[in-house]
Amino acid sequence: MSTRADQLHALDDVSGHRESLWSKAVYKFRRDRAGMWSLAVVLVYMVVAIGVIFGWWATSWAELEGGKWEAPSADHWFGTNIIGQDIFDRAIYSTRTSFEVGLVVAVLATALGGVLGALAGFFSGSWIDELIIWIMGVLDSIPFILFVAAIAYSLGDTPYAMHIAMIATFWITAGRLIRGEVIKLRGQEYVEAAHAIGVPEVVIIFRHILPNTSHILLVQATITFVAAIKSEVILSFLGIGVKEGMSWGLMIAESTREVLAGFFNNFLAASALLFGLVMAFNMFSDALQDALDPRTVAGE
Amino acid sequence: MSVSRGTPLLRVRDLAVEFATPQGTVRAVDGISFDVHENETVGIVGESGCGKTVTGLAILGLIPSPPGRIAAGSIQFAGRELVGLDEEALRAVRGSDISMIFQEPMTALNPVFTVGSQMTDVLKRHKGLTAEQARREAIDMLGKVGIPAAARRIDEYPHQLSGGMRQRVMIAMALSCGPKLLVADEPSTALDVTTQAQVLELINALQDEFGMAVILITHDLGVVAETCRRAIVMYCGKIVEKAPIEPLFDRPRHPYTHGLLDSIPRIRADKLDRLPTIEGRVPDLLHLPSGCRFADRCARATNECRAAEPDLRRDGDAAFACFHPWEGAA
Amino acid sequence: MNAAGTSPMLQVRDLRKYFPVRGGLLRRVVANVRAVDGVSFTLERGRTFGLVGESGCGKSTLGRAIIRLHDPTDGEVVLDGENIANLDRQDLMPYRRRMQMIFQDPYASLSPRRTVAQTIREPLDVHRIGTPAEREEKVKMLLDVVGMSPRALNRYPHEFSGGQRQRVGIARALALNPELIVADEPVSALDVSVQSQILNLIEELQAAHDIAFLFIAHDLAVIQHVSDVIGVMYLGKLVEQASATDLYTDPKHPYTQALLSAVPVPDPKTRRKRIILEGEVPSPMNPPSGCPFHTRCPKVMDKCRQLAPDLERTGSAEPEHLVSCHLYD
Repeated sequence: MSTRADQLHALDDVSGHRESLWSKAVYKFRRDRAGMWSLAVVLVYMVVAIGVIFGWWATSWAELEGGKWEAPSADHWFGTNIIGQDIFDRAIYSTRTSFEVGLVVAVLATALGGVLGALAGFFSGSWIDELIIWIMGVLDSIPFILFVAAIAYSLGDTPYAMHIAMIATFWITAGRLIRGEVIKLRGQEYVEAAHAIGVPEVVIIFRHILPNTSHILLVQATITFVAAIKSEVILSFLGIGVKEGMSWGLMIAESTREVLAGFFNNFLAASALLFGLVMAFNMFSDALQDALDPRTVAGE
Repeated sequence: MSVSRGTPLLRVRDLAVEFATPQGTVRAVDGISFDVHENETVGIVGESGCGKTVTGLAILGLIPSPPGRIAAGSIQFAGRELVGLDEEALRAVRGSDISMIFQEPMTALNPVFTVGSQMTDVLKRHKGLTAEQARREAIDMLGKVGIPAAARRIDEYPHQLSGGMRQRVMIAMALSCGPKLLVADEPSTALDVTTQAQVLELINALQDEFGMAVILITHDLGVVAETCRRAIVMYCGKIVEKAPIEPLFDRPRHPYTHGLLDSIPRIRADKLDRLPTIEGRVPDLLHLPSGCRFADRCARATNECRAAEPDLRRDGDAAFACFHPWEGAA
Repeated sequence: MNAAGTSPMLQVRDLRKYFPVRGGLLRRVVANVRAVDGVSFTLERGRTFGLVGESGCGKSTLGRAIIRLHDPTDGEVVLDGENIANLDRQDLMPYRRRMQMIFQDPYASLSPRRTVAQTIREPLDVHRIGTPAEREEKVKMLLDVVGMSPRALNRYPHEFSGGQRQRVGIARALALNPELIVADEPVSALDVSVQSQILNLIEELQAAHDIAFLFIAHDLAVIQHVSDVIGVMYLGKLVEQASATDLYTDPKHPYTQALLSAVPVPDPKTRRKRIILEGEVPSPMNPPSGCPFHTRCPKVMDKCRQLAPDLERTGSAEPEHLVSCHLYD
């Protein structure tokens, strides 16, 4: 007969003061074992990616260093591909590509979703809201791969067609979530107080409302990050993704010719690294969501 | 309390409840003892954080664990120890012997089931009734708590009912198995004045009809004065004063009770310019002052109060924990 | 009291606020919630008008319509001779400085991610009052006025108790030196021992700065303590208005009588006879014909079901005692 809410009420009764969302979230996250491990894995990937950007390693990913399809050795840990490039270097170099795509898309898509979602929510019921919802509906109804191809074609084969297409698609989820949250927040008394003072509406949105959706934006950014990495691999595999450099998707595309010949190293290296990153990031994202969820209690 | 009445229905001794928080362990209830006899209404009064709700939850074995736990003490119901019972045994006690109602009935009712299915569930489980018997009994019960057209309303969902009606449904559910003790945690706080009057009246009437004891947990001294026979005043997890209602409101001994009674606005013909106040605020349970927990806010406090914690001293029917109490009856 | 000696500072005339209820595919207006349905009263400088009623009676909406957090559907809000009910955003700005609001929930009325200093400073920034240095000074002074230490400046709301947060909210409301403050249940979310501190603070500030208060509460004892004149609201209408003493000693409207009798009194020796009202408040979407209270009134007459009574003067008390009930025709 008793419910969680009542028990939570009792907890409020105890702690007397409420702690900040962030310190509570950090505390909860640090007690989440899976979350901490996944964070560690993500950080390792990140260091690898940073190393590639600064040229600390995997610099010779494009060089022809060995023979065709060499087996793993001390020189070439994962062996070599069909034209004698080092598979380990290429897989490591691809980490950078993944992070680049993931980060750019996650940050821009979430920011766009945040701003448009907030505008729609704040002015919900008005033409601004209707317009934004209409745009969401239209973009949502275009098949993703067709969309990428269309953008790539119309922008004259730019290397960023993939990025633009992903951002244009992925902001919608964030936008919908933020719109709902903002509709809830705009009825809060501190927003009313800002109106009573005479704060302009745009300032109210950016100063008083959006900062209080940051936990949703953060989680949404991590989810978008994973989605972007996976999409990049698929698009690159199909030949409409990464145009310059190397990526796990390109490696897997390369391997289609090799697998038939019984050589799996290219395929395995790319898939394993992709799997590790996506898995770890998903777990990290879940743990983050739990930690930031205001409905769960500290200590559970 | 009064010696003549024999074994109390509920006997709480040195109860302590702790909660683990990120900043450390907090003792929300710190060594409280009291009795509740059959058929009487006892009020537990105090401000938020004083431990009154936690006390209620502890009696029903509903302390969320972790982070909470009963750290010490005993709770005896009709001679049977409840502390240490396993969840299954506690659930049996909760359904049939002790019930609880909460401040916000909406959180305690499941929104996706009809009122009827939630009520008949309880009846089938605890009284072993058939579906049809349970339904008849549930309708009967809803009628008793003053829900008009009970036979129709039983098939409605909680959101279709008003706040007052929901609280009546909660009461009907709590009483459906004929408990001997009802713990009511701020049952009328979320309601309007006129609805509050209806609900309190109802609890009073049902108490007579069912012959049960009631523990009324509230912050509202007016509610206590009108419905309880005795009251326990809590502050920072401790009992500071317990007494029958009339002396408690007439001649409060503990300075906290005294200050509380002085500071509430009352309807009166002669308007006061300024309300007397208790200065300062309730200390954080993590950083309790040494000595008496009320000393920092107390005009009567001396060095003695800051050095040692006063024990609960008995005085006739009453008891208070203070070194420098206000004068009692002559 | 009234420097100009002529009209009162605030006059509310036949104010209405309806919320449209939309339905159907075309989202057409199918009904109106009549939250405030023709309310008139006046408020003198430095005085307090108490507004009391149960949840859903429209008292909060009335307060918000007066300071233009809601746009009134009809009627006038006259502040120092100027009707502000229909002003647009730009023209309203100078009036925003003169009226402020104190909110109910000290946990919801402060932006969680803004420091106390930022919160109290915001009105000064928006209205560009003084230099930045002067604003800093003013913020410190305001904190001091509401009884908080300057150490609070750079801390966040969650670090404070409910009472302290309410003090910060009061400081924000005072920043623009308003003439009128609407206080919507300012103490109902606070603990008993803190309530009296905040009530005293509000009264001190009112005396020191000659501020008029529209004080909204459901607690009759609190209302009676702070108000000069009290209005009782039921279903969007004022049903009775009288001085605080008159209303308590001689309540006229059956609803006021029931409300007063339902308040639990912290004195076990006064066992009064309670008037228990039957039934529930009707929906403001579909208010009853005639007198809005007739469905629950213990003294209902045939007339009440057809004809809505006017709010009219009864007796000779000063300030005037108004009641809207056919018993006093």
